[in-house]
Amino acid sequence: MSFLRRVFSKSESDESKPKDEGNSGLTSENEPASAETPPMMPSYNPEGQTAHLDGSTRPLVADAEQITNSGHPVFGYVSDVGLVRDNNEDATFLFYASSSSVENHPDFGVFIMADGMGGHQSGEKASSIATRAVARFILDRLYLPIIGGDDDYDRPPIAEVLIAAIKSANDLVMKEINDGGTTLTLMVLMGDWGHFAHVGDSRAFLVTRDGADQLTRDHSLVQRLIELGQLTQEESRSHPQRNVLYRAIGQSDNLEVDTISRRLPPGASVLLCSDGLWDNISQHQIREIVNGNGSPQQICEKLVALASTQGSTDNISAILLRMPGM
Amino acid sequence: MPDTTQFGGLDGDTNFEGTLKPNTVLLGRYEVTAIMGGGGQGAVYQARDKNFPSARRLVAVKEMHVTAADPVQKAASIRTFQREANLLATLSHPAIPKIYDFFDQNDRAYIIMEYINGSDLEALLVKTKKLPMNKIIEWAIDLCDVLYYLHNYQPEPVIFRDMKPANIMIDSLGKVRLIDFGIAKIFDSGIKKHTQIGTEGYSAPEQYKGLVTPLSDIYSLGATLHHVITRQDPRLEPPFSFAERPLAQYNPEATPQLASIIDKALSFESENRYQSCLEMKESLEALRYRAVQPAAAPVSAPTASKGATPSHIGADQSGTGFFVDVPDNVDAGIQPKWTFKTEDEIRSSPTSFSGMAYVGSYDTNLWALNLETGEFVWKRATEGGIASSPVVERELKQVFFGSEDYQFLSVDWKTGRIAWSYMTNDKIRSSGRLAHGHVFFGSDDGNLYAVLAGNGRQMWAYDTGSAVRGSPVVTNDRIIVGNDAGEVLGLELNGTRKWSFRTRKNVTSSPTVDIEGVCYIGSWDGFLYAIDAASGYSHWRFRTNGAVMSSPVVSGNLVYFTSTDGKLYAVNTQTGKDRWSFDVGKAIVGSPAFHQDVVYFGGTDGIFYAVDAKTGKENWRFQTGGPITSAPHIADNVILIGSTDATLYALPLVKK
Repeated sequence: MSFLRRVFSKSESDESKPKDEGNSGLTSENEPASAETPPMMPSYNPEGQTAHLDGSTRPLVADAEQITNSGHPVFGYVSDVGLVRDNNEDATFLFYASSSSVENHPDFGVFIMADGMGGHQSGEKASSIATRAVARFILDRLYLPIIGGDDDYDRPPIAEVLIAAIKSANDLVMKEINDGGTTLTLMVLMGDWGHFAHVGDSRAFLVTRDGADQLTRDHSLVQRLIELGQLTQEESRSHPQRNVLYRAIGQSDNLEVDTISRRLPPGASVLLCSDGLWDNISQHQIREIVNGNGSPQQICEKLVALASTQGSTDNISAILLRMPGM
Repeated sequence: MPDTTQFGGLDGDTNFEGTLKPNTVLLGRYEVTAIMGGGGQGAVYQARDKNFPSARRLVAVKEMHVTAADPVQKAASIRTFQREANLLATLSHPAIPKIYDFFDQNDRAYIIMEYINGSDLEALLVKTKKLPMNKIIEWAIDLCDVLYYLHNYQPEPVIFRDMKPANIMIDSLGKVRLIDFGIAKIFDSGIKKHTQIGTEGYSAPEQYKGLVTPLSDIYSLGATLHHVITRQDPRLEPPFSFAERPLAQYNPEATPQLASIIDKALSFESENRYQSCLEMKESLEALRYRAVQPAAAPVSAPTASKGATPSHIGADQSGTGFFVDVPDNVDAGIQPKWTFKTEDEIRSSPTSFSGMAYVGSYDTNLWALNLETGEFVWKRATEGGIASSPVVERELKQVFFGSEDYQFLSVDWKTGRIAWSYMTNDKIRSSGRLAHGHVFFGSDDGNLYAVLAGNGRQMWAYDTGSAVRGSPVVTNDRIIVGNDAGEVLGLELNGTRKWSFRTRKNVTSSPTVDIEGVCYIGSWDGFLYAIDAASGYSHWRFRTNGAVMSSPVVSGNLVYFTSTDGKLYAVNTQTGKDRWSFDVGKAIVGSPAFHQDVVYFGGTDGIFYAVDAKTGKENWRFQTGGPITSAPHIADNVILIGSTDATLYALPLVKK
């Protein structure tokens, strides 16, 4: 239970911050949105009600929170140290920008999940350095040119920017951390397109009513054995080397990065998570919870809590983004 | 130089200090002189044997921690250690270091063994740029020999389990010595709980199931040799991916014979490997008498083409010159239903409608033929060559095409009578695209024209600034076209610019847009681009080694296109990675067509190919008399393809 308290207390502190109601146009009456408040992250706040926040639990009401038809995505995240470890080697990064003008730029977002590994705090350093380096590179190459009004002629292909970003992080981690590395899975949101890049075994799922589609392929030994028909999914769960990666940031100078671009259908959700989560929750449970009631923030909390009660001994992190228009 | 092995685990104290300080004397006999290395399990020291006071006899002291906390477990570890050490002490082979003594004290176990003055192969790979191939082969032979010795040891075979460069010393005489007989494993605290980077890389697949046989050693030896020869560290690659890194690609000295030995040792299924080290040794020994040097050996030209996929094509494209007069269909089977010879090259694609086939020829005519029989029906002459492909407006029953006489024409499908014509300011090579009651086409005058299909009245013209030779794609809200300046333009339906995207060379490719709204277009700069049709953002691009002059086609999540590098590519639309490629060895400028899981295209080798869309394997081929520069058209039960031998071929649409 102490764990749950920790999870929820983390979210409470989030909740207790003053909120922007966002530009959803769905502001509840008791909290009229001030016209001056610029729309920031649209409805990062799941409820718009703060009444029952002082209890340790929050009623999981189904109403008052389906505020996804604002025309913009909503999102939330949790990164929890877990029950066993005493440091959190996971790092997350979220950036979201939305604008409205005649130039009609698509909504833009960067969502990064990294899971560090290695002795002596190297893991947490590696994941934070990598996250930072990747975010900076992407904002610099993809986002700043947009708001800089740069010529659209010479825009590099997005996949190449993502690959270069992860390689730049790799260079930095190779230089600064000598006995650590990190996984990294990211999504760049551009309008209704999700552009994903990853190395390691942090996963991205595209969750729709129809199911949870794993977009990333773990760069792990067991995944490779499964693909080669040497191991079943079932066997892989108890394989002694199920945590062995063959590709990660900080491993060698050369790094191959996988990318994938997917249109995100209306109402679909994207989940980025570390292995502390997916290793302890079935894909079916992911689908049930993500498609269930609650804001993205609440859903992240549920996922993390469930992973923990189902035996996760690792750090557990989740980023969830839900597209508008159910 | 970072240690490439693994910084995995948490038990990895990488700065090994060792517990023994220099000058420590073990058993009153071995005086530690230096620390040679170490890791989580303990350290290796150099020591001097004081029993030989007048000679400087060096020994290696291997120290291992007994990590088990439980006293029962600890005792078990020690017992296993003693048993293994006893066994090792009885081994006698020139490549196995001698063991002089072993004992345990203070929760540590020690082995005193022969000191080997040399360098392990892993370090050697770092220190050197290149190792002589004949040396590598000699080492390989010696390694086979020592493994054979171990595998046939009585009373029980000994399996080495851990063959890898780091466990092979090259001594001062240049001979291989096996070190680290896996004794350390006894003391391994067991399962690694935490994520670690780097796989073992050299282990056989069955080892991951806990199954270790002498054949696993053969696999690891193959992996070790592969690493040494290619200098590609398998721990940094996906496990069991050796086949993706052919020896010759990384080391031109590697002969096909050597490659096939390594390949066999690395067979995924153990029954396909050498069944004994003796067998493998004999194969290696046979290499000694061949030219080891790159020499005259007919190495299958692996040189330039990097990351080449296996060529699926059959042997013969020899002597297929540009203008072969007589079609020579070795493959038989495929016989045209009919052929029709025009008076000059056919450079553009045919089409069909209601029992008629239409094709433009450089002889300035648009030809209309009977689709069933190939009989001539009518022709419409223009004042210039026709390089633009005809399109049919089904409701108006009109055929549209452009000519190098600057005109764009609409003619009646049955009679060829001109319905209207539209004059541009330069040659027209672009083919029309019909949509929304308009026909859209480009001209060398740099304009993209939107003309009403019914009467030829211009709705708008957009000046792109450079010749437009491809045809546009038109979706519900976007028109996309490329030009000779390398620009790709995204226009609104009313002809205003929405976005533009620059490639580095001419764009003659006609784009296609898939159901997700992604536009695919090739450029002479060698890339195929995936661009979001709505916004103009490029998602990815795929590099070929030639120009992509042709137009892509999409089916499912694969986009198919050709390049002048001689390949037909199938690339995943979501990842931008190639699924397969099909190499014909000669430039391809014609566009492919997709029909029922088969991709059809013609090459400048004059051959028309049918390739399985899923596997990239050739189904059949048909030889025409000249380079093919256009795309096929598939109608009912025939495939129409024009060739620069001036002939239109109607091939039967056969299932494989």
